[in-house]
Amino acid sequence: MIVRRIRLVAVLAITLLFLLAWVFPIVWSVLNSLKTDSDVLAYPPKLFFTPTLEPYRDVLFGSASILPNLVSSFVIAIGTTVITMLMAVPAAYALARLRFRGKKFAGFYVLATQMLPPVGIIIPYFLILRNIGWIDTYQGIILIYLSFSLPFAIWLLVSYFEDIPFEMEEAAYLDGASRMKTLWRIIIPQVRGGIAVTVVFVFLNAWNEFLFAVVLSGNTVRPVTVAMFNFISVEQTLWAKLAAVSVLAMLPVVILGIVAQKNIVKGLTVGAVKGGGRR
Amino acid sequence: MSGRGQVRFEDIVKMHGEFAALKGVTFDIEPGEFFALLGPSGSGKSTTLRILAGLDAPSAGRVFIDGQDITAADARDRDIAMVFQSYALYPHMTVYENIAFPLEMAKMPKAEIVPAVQEAARKVAIEHLLQRKPGQLSGGQQQRCALARAIVRKARLFLLDEPLSNLDAKLRLETRTELKKLQRSLGVTAVYVTHDQEEAMTLADRMAVFMAGEIQQIGRPADVFARPNSIDVAAFIGSPPMNLIPARYRGGYVEIAGHRLETSLKEAGERDVVVGIRPGAVRIVTDGIPAVVDLVEDLGDTAILDLDCSGISIRARVSDGNVPREGAALSITARAADIHVFDATTRRRL
Repeated sequence: MIVRRIRLVAVLAITLLFLLAWVFPIVWSVLNSLKTDSDVLAYPPKLFFTPTLEPYRDVLFGSASILPNLVSSFVIAIGTTVITMLMAVPAAYALARLRFRGKKFAGFYVLATQMLPPVGIIIPYFLILRNIGWIDTYQGIILIYLSFSLPFAIWLLVSYFEDIPFEMEEAAYLDGASRMKTLWRIIIPQVRGGIAVTVVFVFLNAWNEFLFAVVLSGNTVRPVTVAMFNFISVEQTLWAKLAAVSVLAMLPVVILGIVAQKNIVKGLTVGAVKGGGRR
Repeated sequence: MSGRGQVRFEDIVKMHGEFAALKGVTFDIEPGEFFALLGPSGSGKSTTLRILAGLDAPSAGRVFIDGQDITAADARDRDIAMVFQSYALYPHMTVYENIAFPLEMAKMPKAEIVPAVQEAARKVAIEHLLQRKPGQLSGGQQQRCALARAIVRKARLFLLDEPLSNLDAKLRLETRTELKKLQRSLGVTAVYVTHDQEEAMTLADRMAVFMAGEIQQIGRPADVFARPNSIDVAAFIGSPPMNLIPARYRGGYVEIAGHRLETSLKEAGERDVVVGIRPGAVRIVTDGIPAVVDLVEDLGDTAILDLDCSGISIRARVSDGNVPREGAALSITARAADIHVFDATTRRRL
């Protein structure tokens, strides 16, 4: 009884510790985004202060508005996600199901692209985009993002497709469905949990990306991750505004997480196929 | 329905690399027949069914349905319905949607789909479950749903791949009877894969016994049981299996443990044979081969005796009235008509 209680307390303490480590930067950002610049820099730090929405008003509607940057981020993240999914779903299905020459190599190639350090390829990418005149364009950034989001999405989705029993597909063929109909009506509804997870990851990666964005973007297309740096300069850092932008940039991510949580239901196929095993 | 669903398998070979899963399989199935493919695991029966369904392509040979060569036809163009061992129900669809799916694929008008689905569901007694998802059904109900999905389309051929193997023993017996009635009432040709010889014996009009990629014997279950044409078939059909005893054949007689038994085989000469005697055909007599009872398995109405006949072990089935005790000494024999004689080298029936 006592041992069990001690164990419970220990688990709670560890959980709380991790939670604090995770929550602290968020709480810090949210609190600072509601302070004036003088309150932010007050020492010792003020726990009680009069909250203000001034930083939000400034970063949204002031001279250095980040609204265009938020739009840029949305266009890039949504564009990357849509194109990635349109290509990754059929590709993952093919890798999981079809037998074709070079399949093993294709599978390895997809994974191998993940092994390249981003810093190593950023200069060639920059040169390529500059030569074709795609620096500071949506298509340029989305194309580069596809080069790492697509392999990642394929690799993630393949395992979900592999989980669907072969017999399910064969049953659909015998029921008179074509391969495309089978994919659309039978397979995809069963991997929608996996698709939701992949969408979230691809969107988040594209939304949060900084390294490539800072090199390949410009004044026309500048995502919010890069625009944040407007508030950090040699002379001073505008902490309150920076915090407000951080909170605004976090919002879509948090909302997406909450919405997708419902869709990410594992074990959708559980109970549909008993026994099985091909002789 | 009758007149449809005639099948011809012509010299079908299926290679997996160097391994031959089927070595030239040939058989015919008549319209309306309940045909079982029986054999142990890895004997090629499921491969045969998959080739018939169009899920696997043969390496050589041709498949005909109703006289039409369909060897190269796609599974979806063959007008074949199948019940899988795993049922392969679509988990994201309701029972109604599962049953309606083949009709939708056949582009049947919605107004006709509703009554067709209800009719199929009624035939297998699941009309009250139409709005459930497969995950909410018991094993038996899932099996019925799979059956309904197969019969709703009125396909010309009905394939069943060990459909009862995931049910418990009691439900299996009930479903077996219903399956037979269903097939009779629909008049559809059914091809049934099973490794359970009892299922094949009770369900099939005819059966093909598969061993190592070849058909050993085709015939009515009673005929295969009564006259197995090889040692392998003899050992596979019947429960408990046939006693197979190495012996010496001499002009109409076989010698077991120094005792002569008359056979119905009347051939001159002498040779090494394997003698097959079904446990039920072993008779306890006053003068015969002496045996000692090693073990008694009482099954209620009958009992299985494990007998030791001077080092040769023989199983006998006796009715409950006169079950000897373990350790008892007795003597046994069998009628000439009940003694099967197989060649020891070719393993074929003599």
